[in-house]
Amino acid sequence: MRVETSSERPKVVGKTHDEQQMEEIEMAAAATITPKPRSLPGAGEDPQQLFVRWQQREDHQAREQLVRQFMPLTRSLARRYGRSSEPFEDLLQVASLGLLKALDRFDPERGHSFQSFAVPTILGEMRRYFRDSGWAVHVPRGAQERALKVRHAQEHLSSEQGRAPTVNQLAQYLELDGEEVIDALQATQAYETMSLDTPRPGAEEGTLTYGETVGREDERYELIELDATVVCALKHIPQRERLILRMRFVEDLTQTEIAARMHISQMQVSRLLRRSLEQLRVLTRATEGVG
Amino acid sequence: MAAPPNVSLSLSSRPENVLLVRETLTGVAEAIGLDSTVLNDIRTASTEACNNVVLHAYAGEEGPLELGIFIGASMIEVVVRDRGAGIRPRILSARDAAPGIGVSVIQALAQRVEFSCAESQGTEVRMEFATPGTQALEPLPREDLALPAVAQAEELATTLGIAIAPTRLASAVLPRLLCVLAARAQFSTDRISDAQLVADALVAQTPEAIGGSHLGIGVSVAPRRLELRVGPLRTDRASWRIVNSAVAGLSPVVEKLTNQYGVVAVGSSEALTLRLSDQR
Repeated sequence: MRVETSSERPKVVGKTHDEQQMEEIEMAAAATITPKPRSLPGAGEDPQQLFVRWQQREDHQAREQLVRQFMPLTRSLARRYGRSSEPFEDLLQVASLGLLKALDRFDPERGHSFQSFAVPTILGEMRRYFRDSGWAVHVPRGAQERALKVRHAQEHLSSEQGRAPTVNQLAQYLELDGEEVIDALQATQAYETMSLDTPRPGAEEGTLTYGETVGREDERYELIELDATVVCALKHIPQRERLILRMRFVEDLTQTEIAARMHISQMQVSRLLRRSLEQLRVLTRATEGVG
Repeated sequence: MAAPPNVSLSLSSRPENVLLVRETLTGVAEAIGLDSTVLNDIRTASTEACNNVVLHAYAGEEGPLELGIFIGASMIEVVVRDRGAGIRPRILSARDAAPGIGVSVIQALAQRVEFSCAESQGTEVRMEFATPGTQALEPLPREDLALPAVAQAEELATTLGIAIAPTRLASAVLPRLLCVLAARAQFSTDRISDAQLVADALVAQTPEAIGGSHLGIGVSVAPRRLELRVGPLRTDRASWRIVNSAVAGLSPVVEKLTNQYGVVAVGSSEALTLRLSDQR
């Protein structure tokens, strides 16, 4: 097997004008069509000839031409995994490595097209990369960073326009596409909440932490709660969550308003609401089951 | 007759709807503990199959795009179906020369692929994926799948139908789908989150209210407005129990977070209609 040297990489990743055009066309189609190899740049020469020159005579020029011819295919395959929170350039590198392997191993004598051999080889390379990089077991760092960016943008836009932004506004502001923003919103639901001991942003050193803020606000609300029907299940919910539930479902505040009062993000309010409602449902069912 | 799919989606064949298919698969993965490399493969292959429908099934027009997901022990089958020309021209071209790469991607990623097409009945792609180590779901009764009454030809572009069972799967899939649809309806992130809370509440409260095993929901999307039709439901005031169900003395979630609700008759059963809007 041939080992790729670093000096070859720029050639693999570099774009010719035609390739760029090709990419734009592909983007516009938003999909799957790959042009026939003969319409590709550098396609003056017959691939069969090029394979012979490369595989039998180690003619590196022939290999370069083959790489150029099949780069659009490789790029379009890498793009299919583009939602996987790995930077696209990394995916393209891995896919290109797959292409090089396919160029080495392809046997033109067998009568299949190179493309039908290259696609599984390139995809196989990408999947192996995902497995080896432990991507499957960890929350991908790219996704985590993006979720954080979305949260900050949300806070910024909320305070700027006085109401929560839409996904389109977030996408525009962050120069992401809508799907990436939606993914980030969903991902936030899964992440663990920040510690209550985290100093509030903007707070001076040694001042209130989240925990202390909650405690203070809660004194006020605890008084109201004494008058309300005290339901057994509610007692099992942490103070902060109880408070948030009350603000949303009794006082009718929006999540953004609650977030501002609690000095947390709207995404956190959303997550806490979902989680505590779920807990309440489980507790209520358990109580009903006993009664 | 065979067991119905765990998830059915009926959509219009427009490019943005492929995202709903991907989100559904992500929800399924979450529910059964599927590793993300396998999920990525399933999403990629399914995206290819759906893109084929979007691009080729209806010659530039819109038409039905149907998705079925069957979850078995250590396997998932994804079925993508259209009512037009679909993937057929590209399969034919595969015989003479290079296959379309969409098809080669599917073949490279799925353990087993079956293409079938009948004259004037559209094309079906069945893709089977091995999912070692995933948790099995409870088996579904072999019954006729009663899909919610949606997707009239004229409504197709803005309406989609969802049927999911069992509840564990619905609780992972439905909030995701409503998140995407609320974003599409230009809701603020506040109201998107409310839509997810409504989805959670529906999933929690419908098992006792639905006649069969599947939770069926039709959703229409308009600017700043989502219309939901939940059903078919039993006729014994099941709809009202969903609306009025409250936990721990708080206001009922569905009643509080929706702008309007009602009950309509659907044949011998009924459906709950809900409207969520984002008034700014």
